[in-house]
Amino acid sequence: MESEDEMQDAWAGTSDGEFVNEEEDEESDALASDDDNDESDYGFDYSNVDDLHPSSRLPQTNFTILSEKDIRQRQDEAVSTITNFLSISPADAGVLLRHFKWSVSKVNDEWFADEERVRASVGLLEKPATSKRQTQTEMTCEICFEVHPFEKMRAPRCGHYFCETCWTGYIHTAINDGPGCLTLRCADPSCGSAIGEDMVLSLVSTDDQQKYMRYLLRSYVEDNRKQVKWCPAPGCEYAVEFQPGVGSYDLVCKCGFNFCWNCREEAHRPVDCETVNKWILKNCAESENMNWILANSKPCPKCKRPIEKNQGCMHITCTPPCKFEFCWLCLGAWTDHGERTGGFYACNRYETAKQEGVYDEAERRREMAKNSLERYTHYYERWATNESSRAKALADLQDMQNVQIEKLSVTQCQPVSQLKFVTDAWLQIVECRRVLKWTYAYGYYLPENEHTKRQFFEYSQGEAEAGLERLHQCAEKDLLTFLGGTPTSSFNDFRTKLAGLTSVTKTYFENLVRALENNLSDVDIPKAAAKSSSSSKASGSSKGRGGRPKVGSSKSGGSSRSGEESTHWSCEHCTYANTTAASSIVCVICNHARS
Amino acid sequence: MSAATANTNLPRRIIKETQRLLSEPAPGISASPSEENLRYFNVMILGPSQSPYEGGVFKLELFLPEEYPMAAPKVRFLTKIYHPNIDKLGRICLDILKDKWSPALQIRTVLLSIQALLSAPNPDDPLAENIAKHWKTNEQEAVETAREWTRLYASGA
Ligand SMILES: [Zn+2]
Ligand SMILES: [Zn+2]
Ligand SMILES: [Zn+2]
Ligand SMILES: [Zn+2]
Ligand SMILES: [Zn+2]
Ligand SMILES: [Zn+2]
Ligand SMILES: [Zn+2]
Repeated sequence: MESEDEMQDAWAGTSDGEFVNEEEDEESDALASDDDNDESDYGFDYSNVDDLHPSSRLPQTNFTILSEKDIRQRQDEAVSTITNFLSISPADAGVLLRHFKWSVSKVNDEWFADEERVRASVGLLEKPATSKRQTQTEMTCEICFEVHPFEKMRAPRCGHYFCETCWTGYIHTAINDGPGCLTLRCADPSCGSAIGEDMVLSLVSTDDQQKYMRYLLRSYVEDNRKQVKWCPAPGCEYAVEFQPGVGSYDLVCKCGFNFCWNCREEAHRPVDCETVNKWILKNCAESENMNWILANSKPCPKCKRPIEKNQGCMHITCTPPCKFEFCWLCLGAWTDHGERTGGFYACNRYETAKQEGVYDEAERRREMAKNSLERYTHYYERWATNESSRAKALADLQDMQNVQIEKLSVTQCQPVSQLKFVTDAWLQIVECRRVLKWTYAYGYYLPENEHTKRQFFEYSQGEAEAGLERLHQCAEKDLLTFLGGTPTSSFNDFRTKLAGLTSVTKTYFENLVRALENNLSDVDIPKAAAKSSSSSKASGSSKGRGGRPKVGSSKSGGSSRSGEESTHWSCEHCTYANTTAASSIVCVICNHARS
Repeated sequence: MSAATANTNLPRRIIKETQRLLSEPAPGISASPSEENLRYFNVMILGPSQSPYEGGVFKLELFLPEEYPMAAPKVRFLTKIYHPNIDKLGRICLDILKDKWSPALQIRTVLLSIQALLSAPNPDDPLAENIAKHWKTNEQEAVETAREWTRLYASGA
């Protein structure tokens, strides 16, 4: 528990801090610009700034992270609410809740609308148990054919008696078949009576009890996928509850994993889920293995779990609890087949598609060949390189936090609190690598014929990438000289440079994220705004080059770049606003000559 | 002798079911356990009258897995048969052999259900795709083929 909290703290920087930590940046970095000004600097019309502001206070408020304990508590609360409202046993309440996907209000609505129908469909019909049997002292079990004393016989409410051993075997088999055991019905084939939690737990081994309770816990999340999902990080046991609202789907779990709630892939802002999933599929499709899966398994059209076709029939029934019946060929509901598809068992949609060539193998291969492998390789390499670079940076960040900062504090005689700019830089690097990685997936799917968009995209991506390279190099290489040696006066220059690069890179990436989330629709604006102080756009002030940060202008505080020209000059290469006092020929950040 | 020892811990249920199958066989059905393995049954089903399988004798094999009766028996046609729910390996598309199995069902109920399937082929839930298609497009012709296959392969040799 403690270590989790620590982890969380260690990560707090990434969660809120990605592009956001304005206050902190301002504290630690006198050069940081005011974010609000930056927005208008870019010259875009952000009528809905809150939606578009990159990672703007990551919408953690829309997500609740649930531990297993939290989930159990919610389940218990739901059961006791239903037990009280409907005056039924907790076991029956459990049956109802599982049937209605843990929605208390749905249970209530359905129950009071038509109790009899609900009872019939979930298997809670009140049938009088055959009294004749209860008077007997011995009974023959219809499963094992053995004669048992009556007290060894058990029956659900329907009165179908079988011996305890047979019930145990029956339930054990169901539990080992999967979560379908949560909706287990009576062993009599003609009967649909529900087997509730109480009966299950009273009959099975501890091992089976645990499995059953596990499925029960998981059902709260897995039956309720529109509102609750598991964190996809390996080994993580937290679930995330989603409350619809504005903002991105990116969130940070308590385990530290940063992911997209919608598609459960690793966080991929600013690229949309569809592109990401296409891309991931594309990467997989390149491997032999995936080809087999594509041919032999399909996602269940209802619950999306992969279903392997291992029987001859086209009539597929998804595994419990989903049990959706569908057609293998067209993934349509089975009920839409048969008479309604022209009296043909064969699926018309598939036949039609075949005729239209949609499923034509040769066609598919031609299509693949057209998407030249080289083009794919180009994007894939860059995507993968940025991913490994991000992983490395993450390790470096942790090393920095755990070891190096302490060292640096000693060698440079600086309090740790004064070295925050180093970890800030690394946090920025990790986040930027993530964004940059996904922009390559975006680029791959950006149509070749959208020339203007492509140009703008490649420009923004290039700028951001170059900025990041400089930052990464500075944080990696320049820092080394200060780790081993003695206190140096140049450490302050290093601080200025690293903090400056962090801020500049942050701005580049904010702009990139914004542009991509806007689907590059403002493509013409930055060009028009570039080098022009009088943009015709009604969006407001557009100062200097579009998207460029206004770093270091705090002294003059003016709202127009022209007023600052005398005290500052903006580097053509990295956009850093150099003070004319410090340097008038070479940029202090990137050493490029002033043009 | 060896068979007897190998089957000493045969559940009472299987012994009873076997006894009943032998002493009160269902009409048109015979099932007898193999000498080597009492969980393996040689089954014969007579083609039901009024069906294209009439006059045929169909051999099947039935095996009771270790988990029986918690798991369904495994059944397969050994005689070639032209039927939309039975594929060329003799596998049968029948719900009680799959997800609708219940331990309260027995060998007898399974075999009766298979016999009923011969009387009422269900081309809407096909296992043998081509046969099902044939059945749907030209039932008369499909039935004729089934009759011919019965004559050719199930004449009871
Ligand atoms: Zn029993
Ligand atoms: Zn019952
Ligand atoms: Zn997690
Ligand atoms: Zn997503
Ligand atoms: Zn499903
Ligand atoms: Zn279909
Ligand atoms: Zn520069």
